Amino acid sequence: MPSMPEGSNAGESKKRASRFSTARWLQPFVRDYGMLFVLLGLIGWFSVLTYTEQHPTGVDAGQQVARQIMQQQGAKARVLIVARPTAEDVAFTSAMATELSDLGASVLRVVNGDPKAARLAIEELSESGKQPTALAVNDVSSRWSVFAQSATTRDLPSFKPRTYYWPNFLKLSNLLGVANQTAVYAIIAIGMTLVILTGGIDLSVGSLVALASVASALYLRDYQGGAAAGLGGVVVGSLIGIVTCMVAGGFNGVMITMFRLPPFIVTLGVMLMASGLAFRLAGGASIPELPRSYFWLGGGTSYGIPNPILLMVLLYAVAYVVMSRTVFGRYVYAIGSNPEAARLSGVPINPCLIGVYMISGCLAGLGGVVLSSMLQAGDPKFGLMYELEVIASVVVGGTSLAGGRGKVLGTLIGAFIIAVIKNGMNLTNIDAFNQKIVLGAVLLTAVWLDTLKRGGWTAKSNR
Amino acid sequence: MRFDNSIVVAVLFAFVVGCGGNSLPEPTPTKPNTQGENTVPESIPTKPNTRGTIGYSALMLTNPFFQEISANMREAADAAGYELLEVSADSDVKKQADQIDDFIVRGVSAIILNPADSQSIGPAIQKANAAGIPVFTNDIAYAGQAGQVISHIATDNLQGGRLAGEAMLELVGETGGKIAILHFPQVESCQLRVKGFLEIVEAHNTSGRGGRIEIVATLDGAAARDKSHDAARDIVQSHPDLAAIFAINDPSALGAYSALEAAGKHDQIKLIGFDGQTIGKQAIRDGKIYCDPIQFPDQIGKKTIEIILQYFRGDDVPKEILIPTKLYRQTDAVADPGLK
Repeated sequence: MPSMPEGSNAGESKKRASRFSTARWLQPFVRDYGMLFVLLGLIGWFSVLTYTEQHPTGVDAGQQVARQIMQQQGAKARVLIVARPTAEDVAFTSAMATELSDLGASVLRVVNGDPKAARLAIEELSESGKQPTALAVNDVSSRWSVFAQSATTRDLPSFKPRTYYWPNFLKLSNLLGVANQTAVYAIIAIGMTLVILTGGIDLSVGSLVALASVASALYLRDYQGGAAAGLGGVVVGSLIGIVTCMVAGGFNGVMITMFRLPPFIVTLGVMLMASGLAFRLAGGASIPELPRSYFWLGGGTSYGIPNPILLMVLLYAVAYVVMSRTVFGRYVYAIGSNPEAARLSGVPINPCLIGVYMISGCLAGLGGVVLSSMLQAGDPKFGLMYELEVIASVVVGGTSLAGGRGKVLGTLIGAFIIAVIKNGMNLTNIDAFNQKIVLGAVLLTAVWLDTLKRGGWTAKSNR
Repeated sequence: MRFDNSIVVAVLFAFVVGCGGNSLPEPTPTKPNTQGENTVPESIPTKPNTRGTIGYSALMLTNPFFQEISANMREAADAAGYELLEVSADSDVKKQADQIDDFIVRGVSAIILNPADSQSIGPAIQKANAAGIPVFTNDIAYAGQAGQVISHIATDNLQGGRLAGEAMLELVGETGGKIAILHFPQVESCQLRVKGFLEIVEAHNTSGRGGRIEIVATLDGAAARDKSHDAARDIVQSHPDLAAIFAINDPSALGAYSALEAAGKHDQIKLIGFDGQTIGKQAIRDGKIYCDPIQFPDQIGKKTIEIILQYFRGDDVPKEILIPTKLYRQTDAVADPGLK
């Protein structure tokens, strides 16, 4: 059993190969990563649904509005430019102002501020008797009602950048956002995949997220001077959070192997204890006294990509190699497929199981550190119900709850399916209650698919 | 297998479409701009429904209090030409931060929050600030420094606590006696309620008029019916001669009532609640609760939208607006048309 290709069954695949002889080469891929097509379908679907008018701002938009004004009014144009104080809008207004002056028009005033700043500028203009001939805005500032309040601007022709159409879902910022939002779940889900592959379950991960965030934050606050902590302290603090959870995971493993307690009960107990401990340590409150360097892991970017995404990709690459190329990976599948056979063929079951639960705890701890870094506080309320979210990702990703069958990369796909559905539903205005119904239906569909894989349409067969 | 998968895809889509069918791409706010080189200058939109959207991330939309805030905000926003997008954070700060990300992607004009955590929501508020979207809070305040909130609209909980204290003096001010508090100390609004309550009780005790009021127990009822039931049961066990209980919201007052009834003490021990939820008002009508300082979620909702409109008009907006509570008694409940 350990020497067999992971998650497959020779007799079954031969039978299927004859049934679907047309695409034999696609078969293994479809079997293992069929959910990828679901994910791509969802991406296409939400791209269509969120295809909306986009309102550009920034340098190009600014120059374009300047040319519009010149075309309409020529060099006698006297322009009031209004936008927000964000970096993009400052680029928009300054590019426009430069372009207008270059083309010979006069810029009366450039406002980068809130509606109140706009009002003050308008009042100042009308007091000094300067009457603009054009109002240059972008979509956001064009919606401010401040311009209707003053005679100076009420009937002024306004110019804004030309719009174009593009799916909100497919904006780069949104795609990165979805990946970033799901990174914490996906990282924890690696450990959960291993646990479920052995036929177990780990309910403690959500509470371990909270415990890790609190342990790290407490160490930094109480022993490293909080916001003044150095980089070394941050590294040690993060490790403390992770190691604490690894120990808790090891405790799970020992209770399950040495004392033969069911994983469901053991991890339920640890879930309660870890949550209680986190609340106790933190005194029920969040701990925001953290140094800036601690926020790099969860909130920073490298090469323009948020760090949690890079960490997630790295961890999945490692997990893929471990599960498909190492003895440990084969052992995990063997234990889940048939523990008795695995024992007889010399698989060290207990050390392997303890290792799997330690990995799960360790990754939950890492998830907690990333989350607290992202949200800039340690908090015993973090991680609420994450165990269910993570189990859902694993199951939607095609890993069988019966153990022995599934892929780590499938879990990544599963996590993304859930994240894309959530994000897509938010972007298309589906209300909170219906979102829950949809997510529940997705989970049921995934489990149904799992039984189909195992037993065909009627699913009468053995596991 | 491919066949199986295509079925799954179909089912998934059916669900998504089924639930989202009537909210497909929202009507684009501005009319499609004229294409081509000769662009006609577009005047500032003046018609309703062209103003934009406002995103609201509620603490939890299962709670009638936030439902009422939400409904009133929607009405006021509609009237002013804004569309309100409501989502529920379900008390999960990560979920709320993700929702703010989604609001930013959708390019909402303003964001309204009930922070799921007064501190940890900071980075998400900062992101909205960086995207140039003004952030408003209601009911729960943001307590951090990093993010910038334009304005906060909430009940004046300190004043409400004082009203509860005055109601307590009506009950036991003359005679004096033992009272207890069902607290929810994690939440700032409840801290303020208890603070206001204690101010009045302590002032009464130091004034020396009437009888002395002794607070014999302050227990955590978690603002929930079940926990408050257990806490009240324990209080009655150790203090059978208790005269009254102040509970920081209606569910905890009602939880306490069920414990008092089970102990046969509901005639002896009077209850003062807080909130004025429908269940609380009904209990006041039925004499189970003596009275409530009631909040006005409808006013909180309306005021929030009013402040946002003021902001976009370029007017000065106050950093904080506190809406006072009012004592609601049995006579009010009997006359209340909302309790038919």
